[in-house]
Amino acid sequence: MTLLAVDGLRRSFGSLVAVDGVSFEIEAGEIVGMIGPNGAGKTTTFNCILSVIDSDAGTVSFDGADVTGGPPHALARRGLVRTFQQTRELETLTVADNMLLAAPEHPGERAWHAVGRTSTSAQREAAARERAMELLEVFDIAGMVEEYAGNLSGGQRKLLELARSLMLDPKLLLLDEPFAGVNPSLTNEIVGHIEALNDDGMTLLIIEHELETLTDLVDRLIVLADGQVLATGPPAAIMENEEVIDAYLGG
Amino acid sequence: MEIPLAQEVIFGLVIGSYIALGAIGFTLVYGLVNMINFAHGEFITIGAFVGYFAVAEIGLPLPVAVLVALGGTAVVGWGIARITFEPMNDAGAVPLLLMSIGLGLVLRNGIRAIAGPDRRNIRTDVATYRFDDLGFFVTSQQLLIIGLTLVSVLVLHLFLSRTMLGIAMRATADNEDLALVSGIDTRRVRNAVWLAASGLAGVAGVMLGTAQAASPTVGFGQLLLIITAAILGGAGSPYGAVAGSYILGVAVTVSVPFLQRLEETLALNLELTALNSTMAFVILIVVLLVRPGGLVSAEVRTS
Amino acid sequence: MSDGASRFEEFPVDAVHVGLTLFVLAVLFLYSPLFVQPPGGTFTVLEVVVLFLLYAMILVGLNLQFGHAGLVNFGPVAFFAVGGYTAAMLTANEPFRAVGLGYPWPVGLLAAILVAAALGVLLGISTLRLRDDFLAIVTLAVAEIIHGLLETQSDITGGSLGLNNVPRPIAGTTTAGDGAVLVSTIIVFGALALLFYGVFRRLSASPYGRVLRAIRADEQVTETLGKRVFRYKLAVFVYGAAVAGLAGALLVFYNGAAAPGFFTINVTVIVWIGMLIGGAGSDRGVLGGLAIIMSFQLFTRFLNDQIPFVTQDQFASIRLVLIGLLLMVIVKYRPEGIWGDADELGVES
Ligand SMILES: Nc1ncnc2c1ncn2[C@@H]1O[C@H](COP(=O)(O)OP(=O)(O)OP(=O)(O)O)[C@@H](O)[C@H]1O
Ligand SMILES: [Mg+2]
Repeated sequence: MTLLAVDGLRRSFGSLVAVDGVSFEIEAGEIVGMIGPNGAGKTTTFNCILSVIDSDAGTVSFDGADVTGGPPHALARRGLVRTFQQTRELETLTVADNMLLAAPEHPGERAWHAVGRTSTSAQREAAARERAMELLEVFDIAGMVEEYAGNLSGGQRKLLELARSLMLDPKLLLLDEPFAGVNPSLTNEIVGHIEALNDDGMTLLIIEHELETLTDLVDRLIVLADGQVLATGPPAAIMENEEVIDAYLGG
Repeated sequence: MEIPLAQEVIFGLVIGSYIALGAIGFTLVYGLVNMINFAHGEFITIGAFVGYFAVAEIGLPLPVAVLVALGGTAVVGWGIARITFEPMNDAGAVPLLLMSIGLGLVLRNGIRAIAGPDRRNIRTDVATYRFDDLGFFVTSQQLLIIGLTLVSVLVLHLFLSRTMLGIAMRATADNEDLALVSGIDTRRVRNAVWLAASGLAGVAGVMLGTAQAASPTVGFGQLLLIITAAILGGAGSPYGAVAGSYILGVAVTVSVPFLQRLEETLALNLELTALNSTMAFVILIVVLLVRPGGLVSAEVRTS
Repeated sequence: MSDGASRFEEFPVDAVHVGLTLFVLAVLFLYSPLFVQPPGGTFTVLEVVVLFLLYAMILVGLNLQFGHAGLVNFGPVAFFAVGGYTAAMLTANEPFRAVGLGYPWPVGLLAAILVAAALGVLLGISTLRLRDDFLAIVTLAVAEIIHGLLETQSDITGGSLGLNNVPRPIAGTTTAGDGAVLVSTIIVFGALALLFYGVFRRLSASPYGRVLRAIRADEQVTETLGKRVFRYKLAVFVYGAAVAGLAGALLVFYNGAAAPGFFTINVTVIVWIGMLIGGAGSDRGVLGGLAIIMSFQLFTRFLNDQIPFVTQDQFASIRLVLIGLLLMVIVKYRPEGIWGDADELGVES
């Protein structure tokens, strides 16, 4: 089943066409890597898919529905969740609050429940807290739970951002350079988490420059260059592809 | 009495000139220091008092007083900014805004406590040139303010396009991070901005002192007009600010008889003309809502 | 501080319950023949207390907007004024040269809340997408426009004189004189202020408040985590507007009159400075800050009578200089205020 279908996506900044007619599909259950030289338009593609920025043309459909230009919060609720290239923790919130914030369908986030202090809200909060602690244990940052996210190290931030996305139970998780600035042992750890998530049925699309790690991890690669899809296919074939090699050496 | 349109336009150009001198500085500070300076009006007030002191106490002729106010206010404004804003340059837009509100309160009321609420007119000889056939007149004072503004704009233009520092300023306004990496001393740029912004405010102050009076609130009274003009011109763009100022100046003066006629035709007494100054706020809001980037495009939205 | 559960435990008593109870008792007290006569010479102080309670209502809304959600609303007085004038114009009996419809006061009170809230919706929808500093300018400008309208539209608002002959419901319940009215007013307003504090406190201390603080930290991330950011911003804007509108109505019903002088930019300045002194985002702290700044004003007013060689105008100016200095010092040296949390506000001190 096709989970995500991107068709003819375009976005320009002034005269620069950052994303120039990008089309691809992601099947449910896949891990797909997206690679390309700096400035190829990978992050911009993510931004357009999630309509964090407006795209000039093209359509995005997710899980059978057209979600082009849909508000980001609605996409998150449908199960399309992303991380950011520069980790964006909510630094002025604690680790616990970062996690709990992501809990979907929380009645306590409605004014009436908040003022009435309803028991449904309290129950949801307790359940969310339990789930948050579970995830934090898995990601080995449970010790920091009451710390402000601003006080975490770079690696811990990456882990928190990943853990936070998982609070939403995504169907498709888009990761923007999850291994950038992460030491090798932590990289291995994150790879382990990603594989475990995929085994549990989650689909992932991963932007990454660290090719060695990525090619071992993914089923398929999409190569972007100058805002266009240059090639797509299994990692082994892509690594042999002349055009791709040129794009990397030339770029 | 019906005032001819040509006369209204001249009044508008005069008002636009006062606003422009303030708005250029305001917008430079906005673009290069990344702050909205609510104390900018007080720099104008300082200029008015320096000018008054130079003319009335020392007896200098007006052109010299203008230069004194230019230099004096530039240094004072720069010094104040060094003490107050510069140390918290990285704090973000809102803390800087709050700081400038505090500074505005201190300066405005400090001046009032010392000088009293009196209005001190800067007396000068005024010649009036009549063009009765065309139905308007101008005074030497009006010509001086318009001329001073044009000269200021010209000097600013030469500075921004011909000097290293000016080019560095434009680069910094475009992209501060990039400017930093490419070795531009952004601190020096900020110093230049404060000097220029306060200096121009000083000139505006003297001229307002001659047309109205040096009083503790003379500059503050201009502030929202200045902000409106700067936003109209695309916040951060000095040329836009000049254009915005003249558009605003003419719009405000020309709208007065228009509103009068509107009231007469509608046979209503809404006292619309009493809303003259309120007009500026309305224009400001309409601009921000309809065309938030101003005449050119600037980023004022969060996402 | 930020942990939802521990916030709940922080309080031995719940302000909502206490506020409600007190309100019921206050109403019973009003309609009983009992009254309290304040000691002579305390009038000035008590009048400031009345204002404090009304400003506190504005402030709890403002603190939810700025302290928690990060919305820079520089025009709270606009809603205060609109509430006050709505109530006055609907209820006044033949005021001197202004609209006075003579409806009973509850109509005025309700309308004040609704009209202020409606203005909040209108303004919110059109401006809440603006960046922080531009939102500040627009809200400030709207407040000034409204003030300008109140002063100039004499046939409607009574111009600079305002409206008189507005009903005074609390004064109507006793014949024991102005002092007794003042005390009754303080009891009723105090109960209401406590109630609103409690309600807004519950909002901020719940998952709802967590979303607001997330919006302040990073709107975009909050949105991608599935929250309707704009809705939340609009909601807190409107809640604050509604309460400020109510406070405005209470003020005119206390005074029996409305005038532009009650609703100047000074109100905005005082509540903002109170909030910053106390520490934006600290629900109790901001009220402490408001108490400090209003006590300062009161104290200096007494002081003015003691110092003969300074004119009243000079004294007023010096007072504002001090307030401005205080603001500068706070922003620079203690941006989290006295009781605020530097980590939570993301500031260094
Ligand atoms: N907001 C923006 N304004 C102007 N230009 C932008 C903006 N965002 C991205 N660009 C430009 O669009 C192009 C693509 O950027 P993008 O961030 O998508 O690249 P990328 O493939 O993610 O690169 P990297 O591997 O370095 O992260 C770049 O040239 C970039 O400078
Ligand atoms: Mg990128």
